[in-house]
Formats: sequence, C-alpha cells, structure tokens
Amino acid sequence: MAARLLLRSGLRAVTTCQAVRAPALSRSMAAGGIPTDEEQATGLEKVIMNAMKEGKDPFNMMKPKSYAGSKNDPHLVPSITNKRVVGCICEEDNTSIVWFWLHEGESQRCPSCGAHYKLVPHNLSH
Amino acid sequence: MAHQAHAYHMVDPSPWPLTGAVAALLMTSGLAIWMHFHTMTLMSLGLLLLLLTMYQWWRDIIREGTFQGHHTPPVQKGLRYGMILFITSEVFFFLGFFWAFYHSSLAPTPELGGCWPPTGITTLNPFEVPLLNTAVLLASGVTVTWAHHSIMEGQRKQAIQSLTLTILLGFYFTALQAMEYYEAPFTIADGVYGSTFFVATGFHGLHVIIGSTFLAVCLLRQAQYHFTSDHHFGFEAAAWYWHFVDVVWLFLYISIYWWGS
Repeated sequence: MAARLLLRSGLRAVTTCQAVRAPALSRSMAAGGIPTDEEQATGLEKVIMNAMKEGKDPFNMMKPKSYAGSKNDPHLVPSITNKRVVGCICEEDNTSIVWFWLHEGESQRCPSCGAHYKLVPHNLSH
Repeated sequence: MAHQAHAYHMVDPSPWPLTGAVAALLMTSGLAIWMHFHTMTLMSLGLLLLLLTMYQWWRDIIREGTFQGHHTPPVQKGLRYGMILFITSEVFFFLGFFWAFYHSSLAPTPELGGCWPPTGITTLNPFEVPLLNTAVLLASGVTVTWAHHSIMEGQRKQAIQSLTLTILLGFYFTALQAMEYYEAPFTIADGVYGSTFFVATGFHGLHVIIGSTFLAVCLLRQAQYHFTSDHHFGFEAAAWYWHFVDVVWLFLYISIYWWGS
C-alpha cells in the first residue's frame, strides 16, 4: 500500500497532471463515512503527503534525480546545511563507493570519475 | 513539529520493552514454580504484566501513527516488512509440528501396531465438524477481504458489517473446535497420535483466538474512524495474520484430519 502510494504520487509528480479529484470525493467522510488521508492525515505524514502532491521530496525518500554529471549539468545535491556527504558509484555495479564532503559554492568533482556535483542549500520548511 | 530531515520515526523512550521482558521472566520462572510447588502466583503475575504491556505498547503505536502522524511511507514499509517476517517465523513454528506429525505417521512404529492411525485410536470423521470448520474459516477469509475492499472504497457501514461477520465466524470456529475437543474419543495422553493432534490443532486454535482479538481491535478502531481509505495498515496486518491462520488450518485439515484418518 505504501509502495503504491509512493508510486502513485511519484507518477503524479512526474506527469504533473491536474486531474480532477473525483475518485477522492466519492470516498470521503461525506460520501461513505470513511475519512481520506486528505481529510485526516496529520503530523509528518501530512507534511510528506502535501510535499509529494507538489512533486517535492524534502526527506529524500525517492531515488535522487538523474543528471549527466557534466560541468553544465552537474548532479544537484540538496542540503539543509552548507555541506553534505556524497557517495559516488562511478560506474554501474561498482562495489566500492567513493565518499567525499560536498561544500557550498562551486561544483566539485568526484576524485575517482570526475563527475560534477553541486550543493543546493535550502531550509527545512519547519 | 518534527525537526528532523528524514522521514523515519525515532521513537520516544518507552518502559514497555522492559515490562515485557520482566513479564517473560515471571511467566517462565512462574511456570517452573507451578510445576514443582503447585502455586500459580508468579506465573499469573507474569501473565498480567504481559497483558498490560501489550495493551499499553500497542496503544502507544496507535497514538504515534494515527494521532501524531509518525507513520510516513517509509515507516509503514518497515511495519509491513516486520509483519511479514513475524508471520514467516510463525510458519516455521508450525512447520515443526507438521514435521513431528509426518515423522511419526509416515513410518508408524510397532508400538503403534505398525499402522496410522495407531491401533485403538478412533479418529474424528473429517467430513463432519472438521469440514464445517474448514468452510467457516474459508468464509471468514472472504468476509475479511470484503472488509478490506469496503475500507478502500470508503464504505463505513459495509466495513463494520463485514469485519464483524469475520470475527463472528472466528468465534464460531473456536466454539466448534472447543466442542470437538470436549467430545473427542482420544486425549493428548493417547500416544503420539494424541500428542501431535492436540499440540498442532491446539496451537492453531490459540492463533485463531489471537487473530480474532486482533480483528476485534481493528473493528473498534474502524468504528472510531482511525482508518482512512488509503492508510489502514493495522487492518491489513490483521487480515494477513487471519489468512495465515486460515492456511495453517487447511494444511492441518488435509494432513491430520483427512490423510491421517
């Protein structure tokens, strides 16, 4: 169920469809008497639900987006402070991960494969 | 609110693991004391502490998930893995008793008369109450699925009705089985037949009672609007457990009641 939820929300985010919430309406408290997550979710679950509706993933639950890793299209790494550890799997199926600190400012390159990484700082919404 | 940058749940400190461990200690030592000194005090104390622990621990989980919103998608995924692993461990538990049954019944020793059922044992007719029990549990599997679909489709009344029906069928099974136990022409002390029969079906019956209790808790929660049409993992866990109980019965019925008769 959670997987379906993730997939469904992810799909929605990707296609950015503004579909009518008709199915939800027919399942609400008013309709059948069982609340929807829309009506009743609370706390962190609600924060995540709302973020996913906008296509955002503030808690890094999904796989990171794919970038070319070149100078013009560096891997964008979100961070809530001014540095974050990055683990680069240079080639697919590599068993050793190259770890390094990525600092705010100019993009850095992986010491092994040279892929470009750029830190994107942002604040927690709460 | 949460000042964390991840979607997981870092649980607040809780006394229930400790009280649960103490309960386990008191129950086990209490069992030994009961066997040697004929007093049930220690064991009863342990049982009481166990019941209190279960009530308070699971109440806290409901508070954390339903009322505080800590059960985010990754947390729910973890709970799913947990329930599946637990049920798998229970499968292995029952596998042991099936092993014992087949060990003794596939090559019956001379002491039993070299045959199965052993000489002197009048088995239960598999086409009487045991067959009814099979129908009852299969029907309860249908009603619990009906309840799940009702929840997903937002139909409160149907959800409550089908869940209630499932629990009633569970009680019916338990009552029928209790009557069978009372009326059976053999006891647990009747050789390896009695041992394998009553230990395997007895543990199954205990699991039916546990499953019915879990479903009853879900009924209370559904009545109090805890479940949403998308997020109702407590109910799903209870339904998985109930299907597991049903499948174990089917194996028991085929192996012990039918083949073994």
